[in-house]
Amino acid sequence: MNALRRHRALERIWASRPGWRGKLTTVNNNDIGLMFLSLAVTFFAVGGILAMLIRAQLATPRSAFMGPDVYNQVFTMHGTVMMFLFAIPLFEGLTVYLLPKMLGTRDLAFPRLSAFGFWCYAFGGSLLIVSLLAGIAPESGWFMYPPLSSTLGSPGINADFWLLGITFVEISAISASVEIVVTVLLYRAPGMSLDKLPIFAWYMLVVAVMILTGFPPLILGSLLLELERAFGMPFFQAAAGGDSILWQHLFWLFGHPEVYIIFLPAAGVVSTVLPVMARTTLLGYGWIVAGAITLGVMSFGIWVHHMYATGIPHMGLAFFSAASTLVAVPTGVQIFAWIGTLWKGRPEMHLPMLWILAFFATFVMGGLTGVMVAMVPFDWQSHDTYFVVAHLHYVLVGGFVFPMLAGLYYWLPHFTGRQRYFKLGKTAFWLIVLGFHGTFLLLHWAGLLGMRRRIDSIEPGSGWELINLLASVGGFVMAIGFALVLIDVGVNVAVTVRGRRNPWGAGTLEWAMPSPSPSYNLASLPKVHSRNPLQDDPDLPVRIARGEGYLGDPGSGLREILAVEIASGRPSCLVIFPTNSALPIVMAFVTGGIFVGMLIKIYWLVPLSVLGVAALAAWWAWSLGNRGDLGLQPVGHGLVLLRASEVARPPGWWGSLFLLLADGVFFGALLFGYVFLWTVAPNWPPPAWLEPGLSGPLLALGGAVLAFGGIRLADRAIRCNAGPWLGLLLSLAGLAALGSAAITVLARTTHDAHAYDATLWVVAGYVVFHAAVAGLMTVFLVLRAGAGYLSARRIGEARIVRLWIDYAVAAAVLGLGAAWLPEVLT
Amino acid sequence: MTDILRLSLPLTAWLAAFSAVYGLQGLVCSDRWAEAGLDLTAGRIALTTAWAAAVALQLVFLVVLHSPRFTSRSAFVHGVSRTLAVAALVATLWTLLPVVTTSACL
Repeated sequence: MNALRRHRALERIWASRPGWRGKLTTVNNNDIGLMFLSLAVTFFAVGGILAMLIRAQLATPRSAFMGPDVYNQVFTMHGTVMMFLFAIPLFEGLTVYLLPKMLGTRDLAFPRLSAFGFWCYAFGGSLLIVSLLAGIAPESGWFMYPPLSSTLGSPGINADFWLLGITFVEISAISASVEIVVTVLLYRAPGMSLDKLPIFAWYMLVVAVMILTGFPPLILGSLLLELERAFGMPFFQAAAGGDSILWQHLFWLFGHPEVYIIFLPAAGVVSTVLPVMARTTLLGYGWIVAGAITLGVMSFGIWVHHMYATGIPHMGLAFFSAASTLVAVPTGVQIFAWIGTLWKGRPEMHLPMLWILAFFATFVMGGLTGVMVAMVPFDWQSHDTYFVVAHLHYVLVGGFVFPMLAGLYYWLPHFTGRQRYFKLGKTAFWLIVLGFHGTFLLLHWAGLLGMRRRIDSIEPGSGWELINLLASVGGFVMAIGFALVLIDVGVNVAVTVRGRRNPWGAGTLEWAMPSPSPSYNLASLPKVHSRNPLQDDPDLPVRIARGEGYLGDPGSGLREILAVEIASGRPSCLVIFPTNSALPIVMAFVTGGIFVGMLIKIYWLVPLSVLGVAALAAWWAWSLGNRGDLGLQPVGHGLVLLRASEVARPPGWWGSLFLLLADGVFFGALLFGYVFLWTVAPNWPPPAWLEPGLSGPLLALGGAVLAFGGIRLADRAIRCNAGPWLGLLLSLAGLAALGSAAITVLARTTHDAHAYDATLWVVAGYVVFHAAVAGLMTVFLVLRAGAGYLSARRIGEARIVRLWIDYAVAAAVLGLGAAWLPEVLT
Repeated sequence: MTDILRLSLPLTAWLAAFSAVYGLQGLVCSDRWAEAGLDLTAGRIALTTAWAAAVALQLVFLVVLHSPRFTSRSAFVHGVSRTLAVAALVATLWTLLPVVTTSACL
């Protein structure tokens, strides 16, 4: 088969359906990545217009441009859109598009999950934009502190849009993170061991784990605040045993890692683009990997440095001040590695390089002001002033937007397949950089002069008038620059001439395919021997196109891909990916019913939507796997491998493991909240502790033993090719008992009596939910066993269900134990 | 998977210890501590013990990662995991130093 015929055959297998319907049903990473990127840029434009409205308002004293009510919505939505609807989805989109290509594979680990995540993002983001257009947008600031955001300070529907819309959007981030982690660990070109991973993949691995562990506290906080607003469960109301500081802890447990979640992908872009621009290889690869991991973990240890002004004792302040200074070290390691790379190379001043230099200057300045605000005495002086506003814009725009623009211009020839034509881009560069510093360098000064953030008007004679006028001029110059970038990209896409492959002479595998990339990315999967395969072997793209790698024969008509061992990169099994489907968009739509039902208070829609999601998930999962043992399959070069459905730990098991990591962090944050209220909140202890009685603990204990033992019995039966019915039945009975034990907690407490009771309701609800999910999965397994999908070799599905049952048991034992413990102790 | 654990465990342990000591400090300064009949001296001893235990745990990680029995077969993972273990030890020493240098509850 020649290269052209192979290309046509693979396109038939991997491409989306033609026309606009194809966009609704596609699960291909190229389509989903571009859809993410397009929508994120659209939201960036919305956030940018809101920023210009803010600058127009503050350009002159006592401006009548906007009233306070509108202004509050505008600045809240500016922050919200930029953080949640632009920054995170932008790098998700870039990663969805690029990561499989860089790793030398054909798609991400779970293509339908990619599509589901995108549609959750699109629907959730739209919900927020609708609120803005309707004039009922959130108005409590992007970090939504109660009591301002509770019904006391925000009685309308505005805050609900934020709490529900953002949680809906976060499903997309969690989905993408599970995808990224499993893809980096399992889906790589054969031979790509951990030391040969493209540096961008390391960064994204760290970022994805950070999202899985950083977002759950915010999801929990949003859930608790929404429950307080909707049902009067007083988690944040001091009079009833709550504490508004709990929100700040939950928010910043997410919010500080969030800064690094945004920065690290940009650092990954810099580490990828910089060596190519400098005509050399990256200096200190191992140090940079260590720096990224250290930065990722340490970023979780500094959440309280946003809360210095809340009256925390000196020792607590000192912990977080020390940690905040320490985090500068791994950042510095990366910056010095980049400088060293420049030093040993021969840098060429192409446009991506200009953006990287702008990043260096701006981010270092933002980092230094970050060290300043890490110092408690300085922070007390500058807290809630424009100094902090200027600092965070230096870090986020300098540390994220500028590197992303470097990436945009670096990969634009890959996206378009056209030659570079960047004259307009250089004009835009200077407008943006000068406009940015003209705005925010000056606003540091306004902050030091005492200008508070979020004020809708400045007074004549305050000394801030000229600064704000100049900052507004700078802001509009920057906006013109961004508009020029959009025009420039349009020109590049539309009118420039076809270019050659790999115009920069890069060494990573995304340049080993035609541009724009075909739907299958690589015609065959290459064997990799170094971090820069294209520099070692310039003919590699041709040999890939000829089908000389693995899986070069498209004869099966299936979407075939290889999974590898995590450490060594040796091929481990053959995976068949699902085809295009409307299931992801339908499921995202039905998921939206949960949030819309809560928002407009049609509560019957919520359980109905949950059931709909469960039914669709079962339908989704039913289409996977196979009814017979297929045995070893040829994958090329004489290698034969088992199908993923015939290994004990298929990719779905790994996906479940990392999803449960996020779930576990959510539960950990809930228990933290419980302990926090018990320790710190006023009006504790509650009037009465919950009495466990005898039935609840007995049900919990018996249920845990039955569920835990039953699934293992079933597992053993499947391995012996016997019927797993008894074990599965015992598991089901055990899960029912666990759920019943949790219901005894609900029956003995009143949800709105005290923060203690409200917390127990959430803990017990969590246990009931997980027992129900594990129970449904067990029923699904019964049906699958009956339909012949399980065998001694095809045990992977049972192992996935076992994982979920074990988690449900652990959550029940811990959660119900925590609920009953205070009464036992007293 | 074991290589991923080698890379992630020491710093995760630092984060857990750091959060736990911060939580312990909150408990020491709360009414619950006094209700249990304990004073600030006991609190300081508990905090210092927790810090020492966290440092000891990091030393154990360093030794284990250095030993031939537990080290990775990959030279890259071996090098990076040891670097991360040193970073975690330094982080434990530095970020929890306030347990012996500042007032606990002022």
